Amino acid sequence: MSETQLDPLEKIPLPLTTPSVMSVVGKQLNPVQSNSAAAAAAAAASSSAAAVAPGSSSSNSSSSESNGANAAAGVAAGIGIGAGDAKRKEESNVTPEDVLHLTKITDDYLCSANANVFEIDFTRFKIRDLESGAVLFEIAKPPSEQFPDGLSVEDTMLAAAEDLSLDDTADPNAGRYVRYQFTPAFLNLKTVGATVEFTVGSQPVNNFRMIERHFFRDRLLKTFDFEFGYCIPHSKNTCEHIYEFPNLPPDLVAEMISSPFETRSDSFYFVENRLVMHNKADYAYDGGKPT
Amino acid sequence: MGFLTVLKKMRQKEKEMRILLLGLDNAGKTTILKRFNGEPIDSISPTLGFNIKTLEHNGYTLNMWDVGGQKSLRSYWRNYFECTDGLVWVVDSADRMRMESCKEEMQVLLQEERLAGATLLVLCNKQDLPGALSSNEIKEVLM
Repeated sequence: MSETQLDPLEKIPLPLTTPSVMSVVGKQLNPVQSNSAAAAAAAAASSSAAAVAPGSSSSNSSSSESNGANAAAGVAAGIGIGAGDAKRKEESNVTPEDVLHLTKITDDYLCSANANVFEIDFTRFKIRDLESGAVLFEIAKPPSEQFPDGLSVEDTMLAAAEDLSLDDTADPNAGRYVRYQFTPAFLNLKTVGATVEFTVGSQPVNNFRMIERHFFRDRLLKTFDFEFGYCIPHSKNTCEHIYEFPNLPPDLVAEMISSPFETRSDSFYFVENRLVMHNKADYAYDGGKPT
Repeated sequence: MGFLTVLKKMRQKEKEMRILLLGLDNAGKTTILKRFNGEPIDSISPTLGFNIKTLEHNGYTLNMWDVGGQKSLRSYWRNYFECTDGLVWVVDSADRMRMESCKEEMQVLLQEERLAGATLLVLCNKQDLPGALSSNEIKEVLM
């Protein structure tokens, strides 16, 4: 490969050949603050028993809130309480701002399963360790198998998760909720890439945005906020979010390990600021221990 | 666009960079994206949508967008121009047959107002293939 500079745009050399892209990154990424962009923990995996939450793959750093900001608790409370069946219609009024201000995991789903009018379908989740290159977890909807029994990809994931002898994954709300079991080694990973692959239906999707909130108890560990923007009709798309594992204080790590499933996440998917999907996951980090 | 939106964009700009990879189908955009990010490149399927890599580090984000290059998809490229800081135009150096359409497509992009602020890199891929044009030859064709 070689590069050629052309005139019509800016003449600033763009060092994007393979070796120099790294230096660009390096320059960009000077340590500015040790943003404790916490527990992405919930979005990566350990080598033995690992899993990924629906859509835990992308981010938008500028809106990454890493500390348990308590702003706008009122908004949060409003959503949390108001999320009874009566309010969980397709006509959800939940906005991105609302969920960005949540101070804890929601008690309930903030939209119905029918709200996914764009037929957005998650077809693959993958987690890899950038240090070793090892794929720690991967699960895909088989192309041949279009879920003849009417199973959603989430159902299939659950089935596969059971095959991997993950912990109890059964739940009546199966399609929207996944339970994951990690080993403690998971929390020692340095750099992790989480990939999500999804297809969209016959309509173009505008302003597709994912917001994911990870909490340990009521402590906000990490916010992923990523705008996919436009999605082409009938397209298959992937997004890998590569991030450094945050430095969690040892006592917090110990607590997370000793408190299985108290680390939880909400994944919200918006199209043109309307909530079309809401998935939940919870996580344990005590896997692989002799019982 | 409200003032707040503008402010928000400016704020994001400081800590975020968006790179767009475009080019004809089979140019090697996805392979390059994966290679940059340390992924295996032994089997790559045509991209029927987009592939995004987003690297987060110390509050900074590098977003790389690879959008499918098939003819039927090119009319959708415009949906990904917004906020692009750098455009990587990927060329299959050995695809002499289509060097002319490669030029045409690139010229269209260069007229695009929303890409006016972006830096351009022309990446001459597949230099190792027999019959590949050199980067200088490609420069001659494209300009």
